[in-house]
Amino acid sequence: MLSIAVAKGRLLDSFLELLSQANYNCEELARETRKLVIDVPQANLQFILAKPADVPTYVEYGAADLGVVGKDTLVESDKEVAELLDLNYGYCKLVVAVPSELNISSVQELDFNSRVASKYPHTAEQFFNSHGIQVEIIPLHGSIELGPIVGLSEAIVDITETGRTLVENGLVVLDTIMESTARLIANRVSLKTKREEIAELVNALEGVI
Amino acid sequence: MMDLRTPRGVKDFLPSDAKWKLELEQKIRDVFTSWGYQEVISPTFEFYDVLAQGGAVNQQTYRFFDHNGKLLVLRPDLTTPIARMVATRLKDEPKPLRLSYLANVFRYDDVQVGFQREFYQAGVELIGSSAAAADAEAAALAVTVFNELGVKDFHLDLGHTGYIHGILEECESETQKRQFWQLLLTKDLVGLKALVAESDLSEQAKQLLLKLPHFRGRESLLDQAYHSTENPRARSAVANLKQIYSYLKAYGLEDQVYIDLSIVKSLGYYTGMVVEGYVPNLGFTICSGGRYDHLSERFGTDLPAVGFAFGLERLMLVLENQGQRPPEQNNGIFVLPLSWRHAVNYAAAERKKGTRVEVDIQGFSESEAVNYARQKGFSRVVIVGADGVRSIPMSTNEGAV
Repeated sequence: MLSIAVAKGRLLDSFLELLSQANYNCEELARETRKLVIDVPQANLQFILAKPADVPTYVEYGAADLGVVGKDTLVESDKEVAELLDLNYGYCKLVVAVPSELNISSVQELDFNSRVASKYPHTAEQFFNSHGIQVEIIPLHGSIELGPIVGLSEAIVDITETGRTLVENGLVVLDTIMESTARLIANRVSLKTKREEIAELVNALEGVI
Repeated sequence: MMDLRTPRGVKDFLPSDAKWKLELEQKIRDVFTSWGYQEVISPTFEFYDVLAQGGAVNQQTYRFFDHNGKLLVLRPDLTTPIARMVATRLKDEPKPLRLSYLANVFRYDDVQVGFQREFYQAGVELIGSSAAAADAEAAALAVTVFNELGVKDFHLDLGHTGYIHGILEECESETQKRQFWQLLLTKDLVGLKALVAESDLSEQAKQLLLKLPHFRGRESLLDQAYHSTENPRARSAVANLKQIYSYLKAYGLEDQVYIDLSIVKSLGYYTGMVVEGYVPNLGFTICSGGRYDHLSERFGTDLPAVGFAFGLERLMLVLENQGQRPPEQNNGIFVLPLSWRHAVNYAAAERKKGTRVEVDIQGFSESEAVNYARQKGFSRVVIVGADGVRSIPMSTNEGAV
């Protein structure tokens, strides 16, 4: 049996859809609303419902063999896992955005003492470092676009799908740090000890992506 | 109130943990010794400049200055100090040299499972031989030591740096080679697929790079790997592994050994066979090593070498996880003296036999003595007087708290 850590919500729903197309019957899961660990014997899978940011941790420690997680979260977590498949859904971009009234068009124009609010402090810091830009990163847990509105920060680093939320909050995109989609990740030892089972699942999923 | 925490990444071993750790270390030592490996002890700290020449000393180390302003470093591993030792002070010794160590190492790293910032490592280095039999000996010893320690289902995967290096020889630039190496190291198969697609490698190399992360299996995989490439370096790597594997069959260990050609190590000094040990249902490797032929050259004497190391804390975690930690058993004698002279003589005689003995110094009553002995895990209380001794056995299973 393979265990899969995945966050409830859209990541899970789309993954279940892929699984059913690949003939892994996991209908049972949709009916469960309270449990955090759900066995689906007929598909030989076990689901571990975790917070998105914790999925790479469950997989790195081997508490789950596999995980489904956005590439953005995966990069931010910096965990030692294997990245097996691009599941090709959950598209979003990680961008640097500033209030339009700041009137700048590139990250280089950011003031040297700019503050940047983000749920992705690690990735943001790496991005600015690699561009030789010194900024102060302010880690937040949500509603990042509030930062500039209330004067907490000059810029933000956040994910966006269509850019609508950014526009609604008077923000313009300066740069795209990365594009992200959902990924299937694996524990490195499970990849050795459960190779056949994992290969079977990967092949089946590859056929329907 | 005073702050009495310890820094992140270090920990105390209280008596029962310390006792178990020492017992394990002794077992490890016994196995290493029985294979002819001699233990060496390197200094806890050395000059940074010197160890840095080995290449394994990076930013993740504890560094500090001595009074002359020279930069020092706490040893982050033993392989580098031993290479220095061998290249200088042991360079005229008859080869091969079989050396072992059990020591604490220090890494200013993110704390990982079983790897604190100070952790204990055991390992061997077999220096001065490039024979496949040397690689096989190191691999066989790794399997043997885990078997002897009571680890269940230990497996060792053998890979070879030459195979991947050979395939990547086709790369148009060093940068591209490094990119592929990095993707294989981090097991980023999505990135690998993308880089393969945009590269102008031959169709054969492309197919092989995509297959490489799945190249794991038994002996038959070696033939498949051999015929998947015409690169001479990659082919000689396979031939080398085949030889090593045939020795391991002679050791009778082939059931516990797999071939995994996807193994890539973060340390740059490996030149040949690489190994990774693990057990099922535990998400991390518990043993690592390989051949590193030119490390000692950086210290002035070029000697081929192969070795492996494992973390004591991870080993303890595995054994606990597998329910293999031995239960604490009542043993020894708590002596309650009625006559001091007779009591200490009795204790001395018992200690000579190797028995653990404590003599009461608190003036306990008999019931206090029994209570204390039970809590401390003694198997009996012996009351010693001038005219004889009386023994009160502790019932079994009591006392072991």
